[in-house]
Amino acid sequence: MAEPAVVPAVFYRDPLAALHWLEQAFGFETSLLVTDDDGNVGHAEMSFRGGAIGVGGEWASPELLGPAAMKSPLSIGGVGTQFVRIHLSEDLDAHCERARAAGARIVQEPQDQFYGARTYRALDPEGHVWNFDQPVADLTLAEMEQASGLKIREKL
Amino acid sequence: MAEFKRPSLASGVYYQDPKAALEWLEKAFGFEPVMVVINEDGTLGHSEMRFGDGLIYVGREWDDDHKSPASLGGKNTQSIHIQVESGLDALVERAKQAGAKVLREPADQFYGDRSAMVADPEGHIWSFGQTLKEMSYEEMKVAGNRIDVRERL
Repeated sequence: MAEPAVVPAVFYRDPLAALHWLEQAFGFETSLLVTDDDGNVGHAEMSFRGGAIGVGGEWASPELLGPAAMKSPLSIGGVGTQFVRIHLSEDLDAHCERARAAGARIVQEPQDQFYGARTYRALDPEGHVWNFDQPVADLTLAEMEQASGLKIREKL
Repeated sequence: MAEFKRPSLASGVYYQDPKAALEWLEKAFGFEPVMVVINEDGTLGHSEMRFGDGLIYVGREWDDDHKSPASLGGKNTQSIHIQVESGLDALVERAKQAGAKVLREPADQFYGDRSAMVADPEGHIWSFGQTLKEMSYEEMKVAGNRIDVRERL
């Protein structure tokens, strides 16, 4: 596989602190760090098992974005507009304990889901939502429907 | 679906109208639906779309802490970058035809990529990149304007 096709970009008030925290809590590795003359983070990328995320500071630009702005959840009352999902092949419970020890707020403890995955959900110190899953059973969509009572199909 | 290997990292995106988003993302960017879960009341519970080897989740605003930019005056806490191997300009043109707001037209960047930025109908911001020239971090440092580029913290 070449470069990852979809890369989540996550905005922080303190992106440098976020890089340190994401390394410690989740085991991400910083792979690119661009800083300006004053040492401010211009752009950063982290890798995790073949995947990548971007990490940046809050920004706004009336001429480029109009009224839109990139904000940390910490600056807007804990609200988020997206989340990141991380697929683990094993050791989800140990991953959760490592995150908790680093100060992650575990908002959903590890548990098995009807769709054949074990999952946990954590908030980082600025309030971004991180969902982790690990496959525990390989189910067809029909089997998931049966287990949940929901309608599950391939398209709308 | 069987041949699709789930990537290690994926983005989940909240919409006021996730069903409309599923259709729009297919038309505008060429995302392909993988899975759609419909609740008993007919609302969308969960859905997944792929773009090449990449995966996104499309969901609804499920409580006060999970909102579309359309509900927050255009604020985004995360965005999504899509890296394509070719066809960046055509992709942006297709998105524009589908109603995307082009924030930054395709342009060559000092770090060897061509890139563009668009907003979808609910205000989520998507950036697109295509590598034109592979550059080392040292070369980027020279090409950039007074920046430092390195591999680790």
